[in-house]
This record gives sequence, C-alpha cells and structure tokens, in this order.
Amino acid sequence: MRSFQELILALSRFWADAGCVLQQPLDLEVGAGTMAPDTFLRVLGPEPWRVAYVQPSRRPADGRYGDNPFRLHKHYQFQVILKPAPADVQQLYVRSLEAMGIDLAVHDLRFEEDNWEAPTLGAWGVGWQVMLDGMEITQFTYFQQAGGIDLAPISCEITYGLERITMFLGLERSIYDIRWVPGGPTYRQVRHQEEVEASRYAFEVADIALLQQQFEGWEREARRCLEAALVLPAYECALKCSHLFNLLDARGAVSVTERVGLMKRVRDLAVACAAEYLASRERLGFPLLAAGEVHDGER
Amino acid sequence: MGSGEFLLEVRTEEIPARMLPPATQELASRLFEELMARRLPPASVLSTFTPRRLVLVLTGLSAREPDRDEELLGPPVKAAFRPDGSPSPAAEGFARRCGVEVGALRRRETEKGEYLAATRHLPGRPVAEVLAELLPRLLTGLAWAKTMRWGEGTGPWVRPVHGIVALLDGAVVPFSLFDVAAGDTTVGHATLSPEPFRVGGWESYRRELAARGVVVEVAERRERLLAGMRERAAAAGGELVTDEPLLDKLAAICEIPGVLEGAFDPRFLALPREVLTASLRDHQSALTVEREGALLPLFLTVMDRPDDPVGRVRAGNEWVVAARLADAEFFARKDAETPLAGRTERLRSLAFHERLGSYAAKSERLERLAGRLAELLGWTEERPAALAAARLLKTDLTTEMVKELTDLQGVVGGIYAREQGHPGAVWQAIYDQYRPASPEEAIPRGRAGRLVGLADRLDTLVGFFGLGLVPTGSRDPFGLRRAAQGVVRILLEGEIPLAIQPLLPEAVALYGDLLPAAAAGRMETLTTFFAERIRHQLALAGHAYDEIEAGLAAGWASLPDLRRRVAALQAGREQPGFLAVVLAAKRIANITRGTAAAPLRADRLAPGVESELGRASEELAAGLDADLAAGDYGRSLQRISRLADLLERFFVEVLVMDPDPEIRANRLALLRGLGEQLARVAVLTEMVVEKGESRSA
Repeated sequence: MRSFQELILALSRFWADAGCVLQQPLDLEVGAGTMAPDTFLRVLGPEPWRVAYVQPSRRPADGRYGDNPFRLHKHYQFQVILKPAPADVQQLYVRSLEAMGIDLAVHDLRFEEDNWEAPTLGAWGVGWQVMLDGMEITQFTYFQQAGGIDLAPISCEITYGLERITMFLGLERSIYDIRWVPGGPTYRQVRHQEEVEASRYAFEVADIALLQQQFEGWEREARRCLEAALVLPAYECALKCSHLFNLLDARGAVSVTERVGLMKRVRDLAVACAAEYLASRERLGFPLLAAGEVHDGER
Repeated sequence: MGSGEFLLEVRTEEIPARMLPPATQELASRLFEELMARRLPPASVLSTFTPRRLVLVLTGLSAREPDRDEELLGPPVKAAFRPDGSPSPAAEGFARRCGVEVGALRRRETEKGEYLAATRHLPGRPVAEVLAELLPRLLTGLAWAKTMRWGEGTGPWVRPVHGIVALLDGAVVPFSLFDVAAGDTTVGHATLSPEPFRVGGWESYRRELAARGVVVEVAERRERLLAGMRERAAAAGGELVTDEPLLDKLAAICEIPGVLEGAFDPRFLALPREVLTASLRDHQSALTVEREGALLPLFLTVMDRPDDPVGRVRAGNEWVVAARLADAEFFARKDAETPLAGRTERLRSLAFHERLGSYAAKSERLERLAGRLAELLGWTEERPAALAAARLLKTDLTTEMVKELTDLQGVVGGIYAREQGHPGAVWQAIYDQYRPASPEEAIPRGRAGRLVGLADRLDTLVGFFGLGLVPTGSRDPFGLRRAAQGVVRILLEGEIPLAIQPLLPEAVALYGDLLPAAAAGRMETLTTFFAERIRHQLALAGHAYDEIEAGLAAGWASLPDLRRRVAALQAGREQPGFLAVVLAAKRIANITRGTAAAPLRADRLAPGVESELGRASEELAAGLDADLAAGDYGRSLQRISRLADLLERFFVEVLVMDPDPEIRANRLALLRGLGEQLARVAVLTEMVVEKGESRSA
C-alpha cells in the first residue's frame, strides 16, 4: 500500500466488514478523532456501538508553515470504536494491518505501554502505542472513563496516524513527499498551501480579542443548550470552545494562570455534556440496546 | 505418584514491562507463604514472565496436605450437666455436632473457666484442590500499579486474560479467572506462531515454546540479548555501552530475544553524546556502541523475532532513528539562536506549579536562597558562580531539546552553558543540579552545584509542604522524597555543616504571597520528613537503628557531625562500661522525670560517693566541652564509659529519694545535670540494650 488514499480505502473496507458504521468526518474543528461525538459521547452508557471514520485533526500549535517534514497543523486520523471491545480485538487489529498490505512475517510488531489521558474531556484509558519496526503506528486504548463517568461496557479505541503510516511504509523522508493518489498528486500538492496559511493565521494573524469573545459566547451558548436539554448542539458549542482555546494558545495569548482556568471551563462543559447525553439516552430508553447486538460484520 | 510439579501460565495481552517483575515476585512469594501455612512446602519455586505470560513453576509438592486435629470448644462445664449429673441439652447438642457420645467429650481449662471439648480429625485436602482454591484469589489480588476493565466491565486487572495453563503433574488444576478456565493449552508467538498447542508440564512447555523461538525465562532472554549485542558491537570494532535498566526493559518487552543492529549518519556524532544517547534510549530503546571513548554511528535494540529476513525491521528502525536525530540536530540549532541568558523572560510563562507561580519566580528565589546558603557557610569564593548558575538554572526548560528529552533537563542546560562560554563552575552547577537523581548517582561535583542543588530542593520542599501537599504512602507525585533525600546526601557526602531547620522559615518567606499564612506552621511536618530521610540514609550506610535515634535526639544541626556522632556510638557501645552507663542514664531519666528542676548546691553533697559523682560530673562537662570543640566523639564516649563504676556505686550506696526534701532535691539536681551531660553526644536513653549485652561489657 503506497498511497494515502489507498490506506483510507483499505481501512474503511476492513472496518466496514467488521460491522462498523462507516461514519464521515465530523464537520467541526477538533484536535483528535476522540473528540467527535461518535467517540466521546457514544462510549457512554450501555448501548453497543461500532464506528469507523477519518477525522481531520487540528492542532494549531503543531503548525510549522509547511517546513517541518513530520509536523502538521492538521493531520488525518483513522478512528475506530468497538463497544464493547470484543475479546479478540488485538487479533482483529493485526488483521487490519494485513489488510493494509503489511506482511507481519517480515515486520516486528510490539505493543508498548502508553496510557491515554485527556484532562479537558475528563477521560482516560489504558493501552499501548503499537510499534511497527520501531515506529509508532497506532494508539490502542481501552477507555475507562469519559466525562468523568466510569464506563461499562468498555470501548476499545484504535487510532491510526494515516500520514505517518503511509510515510513509514514508503520510508519517505517527509510527509509532503507521500503520494495521496497512486501515480497522482502528492500530499504536498494537495495540502501544502493550507499548512503554510493555517500556521501564519494561528501564530501571527488570528484576532485575539475576537477569539476570546467567541470563546465566551460559545461557552454561554453551550450552557443555554444544556438548559434546553439539547445535548448534541451543546457539545458542538463545547468543541468550538476547545478549538478556540487551542488557537489562542498557539497565538501566545494564554498566560500560565489563564491556561488552567480556560482548560477547566472546557472540561466543565465536556463533563456536563457527558452527563446530559447519558440522561438523554436513558430517556430514549437506550435505543441501540433495544436494537439488539451490533452486528459483527461478515468476517 | 507424580513428582509434585505444578506449572502455571496466565496468558494476557501485553503487560507493561515495569509491572512484570514485581507482579511475578509477589505471586510466587504469596503462593509460597500460603502453601507453607498449609504445611505444603514446595522444593523449589520459579517465577518468570514474558510480556504476554505470567509463569510460575513449583516442584516437590506433596500430594495432599497433612491431616490435622482441630479442637472444638463446647459449652462451659457449669452449663453442661444438670444437678443430678446427667448431660444438659447444650452438652448433648455439642456431642451430636461432633459426632460422639457425651461421655467421649474432654474437659478443657481456659481463661474463662472449664469447657467441654472434642477433637475433630481433619483429613488433608489434595494439593490440586488447595491450588484451585488459592490461585484465583492470589491472582486477582495482585497489586498492579494500574488496572483496567475490559469487555462488559470485567476486571479490574492489569490486562485482559486470554488463557491459563495450570498443570499438576500433567493434570489440569480446575479453576478460572475472569471466566477463563484453566487448561493444558497455550499458544506461541502472537504473530509468528499463534496456533494453540498442548503441553504436559514445565519441560514440554519450555521446549515447545523454544521450538517456536519463544524464550520463556526473562533472565535467559536478557543474557541472550546482552551476549548478542556484545557480539555485534565487537564485530563493529567497538564495545557495547551497557545500560542495565534498559536491558531489563528490552528483556521484558519481547518473547523472542532478537538483536537488531542499525546505523545512523555519522554527522549525528556531532551532537552532544548525552543527547545522542538519550534520544536513542528514550525514543528507540536503543543502546550505543563506543570505541576508545567515542561513540560509533551504530545502535542496538530488540526485535521480537529471530531474524530480519528482508531487512525491513532494520530499515524501519533506521528511518525512525534518522528522523529523531534530525529532530535533535534541529533543536540544538534552534536552541542556539537564543542563548540561555536570553531565556529568563520566557520562564515567566512556564508554571512551576499552578499554585506556586512561575519558574521565573522560582529562579529569583533560588538566587537569593543560594546566596544565603553561601553566606551561612562562608563560601564567599563560590558565591558568584552559584548566583550566576541560579539565574540560568531553569532556563533549559524553555529549550526544544528539553521539551523533547525531558530526562535531560539540567544536563542540556549545562551543555548549552558550556558552549555559550560560561565558566566551568557555572556550567557544571547547571549540569549537575538534579544530582543525585538515584542512589547510584554522585552529588554535584563543585560547591556552586551543591549550593544550587540544595537551594532548588529546599525551595521545592518548602513550597509543596507549605501548601500542605505532603507525600502519603506510595503517593509522591512531586518527587518530594527524592528531593529531601538529595538534600541529605549532598549535606552528608559534601561534608556541609548546614542547619536545615532554621532555613525553612526563610525559604517560606521568599515565596511571599504565594504561600498561605498556614505555611509557616507546616514546616514542622517538613522537619519530621527530613528526620525520616536522615534515618533512612544513615540506615542505608549500615548504622543501627538505636544509634541513629540516639544521635538524632541530640540534635542534627549539622549532618556530617551527626554522622560522626552516630559512628562513634557504633564503636563506643563495645567499650567496657558504656552500656552500663546507658542503663544508668535510663535510670537517671526515670528518677528525674516529672521532678522540678533546681540548681545544684555542690557544697551540700554528702562526702563519699555523692561528692565524687558531683566532681565527676563537673569534670565530664569540662572534658566534653573540649572533646566536642575538637569533634572527638570517640574520646567523649570513653569519658562517659569511665563513669560506669562510679554510677553503679552511687546507686547502690545512695538513696536518691531521701525523705529530707532538700537532700532529695539536691541529689535530683546532681543527676539531672549529669543526665544532660550524658546526652550531649547522643541521647543515650534512646539506645537499646539487649539482655546480657551490658554484662559482657
């Protein structure tokens, strides 16, 4: 597998066959696939859930004006949630590598401890970074808590870093050199201008006062939505706050003392949304439970 | 009859390397204890692991527990018989429960009176039954550093369980753990030989795994890795730079101990050696190779497979290493654009702790505290270097290199300071600031380094203790034990006579408004904390517990001095008379306890032994003045020991508690004064005298 899009196609096919809802990316700025409601909210409560999606993930502070061969302001994650995690989830994951064309007869695959924690989501999990020939290719996590709520059943989250895997399989020296399309445009041709401009925007141009106002505004809006028992819109407002915080941080507009306070405000919103989401699903009678077992695909 | 061999394998998903050794040791020792308690001693116990297996092998187990008799107590004899001597319903009921006639019951005298008693014979259970009962409890009870749940909420345990082999002389010991039943089947390597196979016992288990390349014993994997790496290093004309903790880790993260060798571009050898080594170690778990003290452009690590058939594993690792080293090179270049001296402003936006302000504030405190320490110690010559180092001490936290390789904080600052032309004393002080970070590591090499190392740790300890954030049990998130241990070691090993206690209020004051008013009161807790670390450090050096206590109780304003006093006790207790004086000191303490202090009137002491003791006490005081001034604690203790006979005579011949209150008060004053003298080197009453020990003296 030598191109970016072939990797996406292979993983999509594989996880669709494993019974996942093949979701499309969340149409909001997020820092990771974990933050999309299809992960963060769906892992709560008793309802079974299997989903796979590509999530463009924005981390403004990681922008490097398109100059750094490894770092991007926006990268693409392939995110999988299996709830409950099946007993053979590790083998299933190994088969997904084979589906990507990785022949494990000639590679070294190891699972090294790497526990995940997202304080702004009140979430943590236990798991590994998966190392292929000494390179981290996947984050593999058993979620234990989200929004401060203990989880049962337990979800397994598998997050593939798409650029890095493509780059590594081709032993390319720069992300920008990977092929997006076999024989067609490279990653540079598709995305370089965006990286340059997004970096300039986040580091130099973004209007600090406007971003601060927006943070306040969306925070208020989230609270209003929660009062109206509209949890999904409330959570989207919370995600906007999270992204605005990241932008302000990249812009150098967050002092040490403010930092703690702003993070806590985002966390409080996420925690409130988690609790409200669980309550809303309960009011609906946990519909996916009633739908019976999530189907296991055609494997 | 079998040989009493028991094989246990618990197969799981990958367990973190750091948790495996303690868990397998705990399992082995707890099972051993439980078996001993049931009089089922195994001839040998072996425990080992791979990332995916906990393994335990016992040999020489008996087939069953020994039988034993248990005594059952029934009703009191008073309630067991009617006045006519016939048995009461209580006695009959008890006999029935024991399955015997009332006439066969015995009588047993207890503290509460006489009771009816019977003996029940308990046949020993088969060892398989005992194991099946013990193992689920012991396994679920293992103390993991972090646990998880899986599936529908199963757990908590370290990782999901997938299989269990439990064989006693080839037969399955039936039990289950998290709904996984024990059997006789295991699997090979996760990706290279995952097909299940059956085993009959330890030998076949080991052999079958070995046939699949899996080396089940961690010690053997480590040996093979080390041997393989040394061989590769030698073949390249160099020598392996061993790294024991890293080798432990590598042996714990593979089932097949394959050695992977890789090369990197020699241009990266221009990086500081510490940076190169740390980057390879932290990011790639790789060791380095050196020739004549210089690194070669090679690295060695593990691959969990026997070979690298198409060179893909090597290519992958080299690719990652090249990227990491290019990063390090980039960071070094970028960091050089802003010298350390230009980074102090950036410390304002770097929090030391959310409630303790920024690193800029910490640096300002450090400068003042280090200056104060230099002043107290009279180290005027080293003062300027210490102040310069204090200003730059934390600036490396703003460098890209330290953000990437956090373990190198301090070292990176030191290297940069050297490159930027700071004098030796300054860059070394920065370089050494976190030393000693482990018991093996030495203290900072120069006085400036010791000053900033002490100031930094004292400031940290005072800050966290001032907030009431005190370590409890195994929880010490801010590394305060290590910080206090560092202070104690620097003072002891650097022979620095610095009094910690009086410094604490000054260090609190330097925080200003950042610490609450209650902080000053919390310094008592910190003082106790220091005393605890001093005890620990002296015990590590081999001093007896009671000698340490006796020394500490006499004060620890200077730790090197404390150590000399404690060391003197070690030799002193062997002297004739010394332990007799210890006993006399305890006697004096008992007699004088609770009595009012009064001045001694030497002219009123009775002639004879009483006056003699009065003179001896005066002479002792003068002698001790001279000894202590000269720091000669050996001579002090000799002086004290020589009082043994006199004290013994005194207590035989003189009644201290004389009916005449004036005489009594004067004798008490004599003893109190003497007791104070006896406690000047060490508080002798803290010494423990074993029975018979004093006589041999």
